[in-house]
Amino acid sequence: MIDPAYVTQILINGVLMGLLYSLVALGLALIFGVMDIINFAHGDFVMLGAYLTFLIATYFLIDPTVTIALTVPLFFLLGIAVYKAIIKPVLGAEPLIQIAVTVGLLMFLRNLALAIFHAEPRGVPYTVFSTPITIGPITIPLSRAAAGAVSLAVLYIVHLLLTRTRWGIAVRATADDREAAALMGINVERVYYTTFGLGTALTALAAALIMTFSRADPYLGLLYGLLSWVIVAMGGLGGVVGVLASGLILGIIESFGMSLISAGARELFLYVTFLVVLWVRPRGLFGRR
Amino acid sequence: MVKPVALLGGKSALYSIIAIAIALALIPLVLGYNMYYVYLAAQVVLVTIMVLAWNIIGGYAGQLDLASSGYMALGGAVSGLLLAFYNVTPWLGMPLGALTAAGLAFLMGYPTFRFGVKEVWYALSTAALVVILQRVFWLIYGSTEIYMPIHRWSWYHLRFSRYEPLYYMLVVILLVTLWLNIRIKNSKLGYYLTAIGEDELAAEALGIDTRRYKLYALLIYASILGFVGGIYVNLTSIVSFRMFDPWLGIVVAVMGIIGGLGSIAGVFMAAVILRTLEEYLRSMFGATIPGIHLLIYGLLLIVVGVLKPEGFAGFLKYFRRRLARGGSGG
Repeated sequence: MIDPAYVTQILINGVLMGLLYSLVALGLALIFGVMDIINFAHGDFVMLGAYLTFLIATYFLIDPTVTIALTVPLFFLLGIAVYKAIIKPVLGAEPLIQIAVTVGLLMFLRNLALAIFHAEPRGVPYTVFSTPITIGPITIPLSRAAAGAVSLAVLYIVHLLLTRTRWGIAVRATADDREAAALMGINVERVYYTTFGLGTALTALAAALIMTFSRADPYLGLLYGLLSWVIVAMGGLGGVVGVLASGLILGIIESFGMSLISAGARELFLYVTFLVVLWVRPRGLFGRR
Repeated sequence: MVKPVALLGGKSALYSIIAIAIALALIPLVLGYNMYYVYLAAQVVLVTIMVLAWNIIGGYAGQLDLASSGYMALGGAVSGLLLAFYNVTPWLGMPLGALTAAGLAFLMGYPTFRFGVKEVWYALSTAALVVILQRVFWLIYGSTEIYMPIHRWSWYHLRFSRYEPLYYMLVVILLVTLWLNIRIKNSKLGYYLTAIGEDELAAEALGIDTRRYKLYALLIYASILGFVGGIYVNLTSIVSFRMFDPWLGIVVAVMGIIGGLGSIAGVFMAAVILRTLEEYLRSMFGATIPGIHLLIYGLLLIVVGVLKPEGFAGFLKYFRRRLARGGSGG
């Protein structure tokens, strides 16, 4: 009854999506881990990135993957601007106020997209990664494979940045103890805005990868926003490794659920997993403060 | 002997409830019994009920619950499906809807509070609940819309050719919810919830069984929403998976925050003003700029969060103070 090729296919699909999910959540994990700020608008940066990718790709008639040369630096600056304008005033405020402000940002971004593009999904007409790879009975869309590979590479680069550079040491010191870090001469303010900028820039990168096989629509925000929080909840503050492991687990659960039960119930598997993790392991699978 | 006035939470509360009751009763007359406007007025009253119910868990107990639309849709689905498939009167369906919603709230709330899921995690788990309910409903009934019986206008089916009867029923539920809010605020439960909302650890240190009282607040909130769901489906005449709208749950919480957490007057005003503004903006710009009202809510929320965390209630206080000083100080 159980066909090993079919199971392998589902597993590969799950792993590739899981890698991408990890990349989407990485920015949020950084922001939450370092700054202790609750950012509900993370998914809507992904949505915004997807639209920007669509606009640039169709305007210049270039591949969505090339647009990152423009969107990633742009989002880094956007992240810093958002940090200075609305995040900084609520640093250290009650969680409810932080949630309120970032939910406000989320509603603003989502409805700005809705106002400009209406509810129609927008896809890029072509990408170099459109042909599938076939190995025996298993088919892997090249776009998904590329998205998975790039995600893994970026996760590794961020891991190196955090562990091997002066900036990374400053970031980790600030995450551990803000006051002590400041006393050691670390410019905490600079750590904060660069972290928020990097976290936002990563969403633009993820968005470009998503656009190679999916379309931009205003509802992407809620899906990827909740998804990122699910991964952060599971991964806790286990660093890049925790995020990667949680993303993979979620991707595989989702893939099996969609293939064996119903593709339309995608969110069901993600969120039921989320509730169970919150109840059973309130500190996440890899530890959380 | 307890005086009836004391039961209502004091004379001033009684007067304001009577004033609101009279004003709401006159609205259909003011609107000239125009079907469309009365329908909109019913929608405004409905959202106000939702926000006032939310105020008990969100405003008093400080738990950012985003599942109000889920509980309301669940109650509505129970009442609506019973009516559509088994011809069961909503008079029975609505209490059953309230019970179902409360049952779900218990199933969700017990482990959530037991395992200490708080703050952002609580908010996220409740947002996830609405999506879970929506997907489960979709798995069972698919994306077809189930219509309420159309040509049976009667009090048994709670179906009418006009919107006024449902409007007045909603007004009665609004007044009851308002009364509950005032009663709870001035009771032991209310003091406990406010203490939990201010500082949960401190409340627990003072000997308050925080889990139990948060669960009470959640059950009251879910029951009100489950009950009103039956009227909601009769108002729109449709039961479908789209009722389980995560956005509505977020908007209700947003109105509660903008109104000023726990402030009954502020929350009431925020719901009425924002929902009416929403309809106005939709009729003006809806075709060209969809979602403009939500865009404005977003901006309002950022402004309130950054500048005046006490919400509308804070602005009210501010203006009162300025007026008292003759507009000289700030």
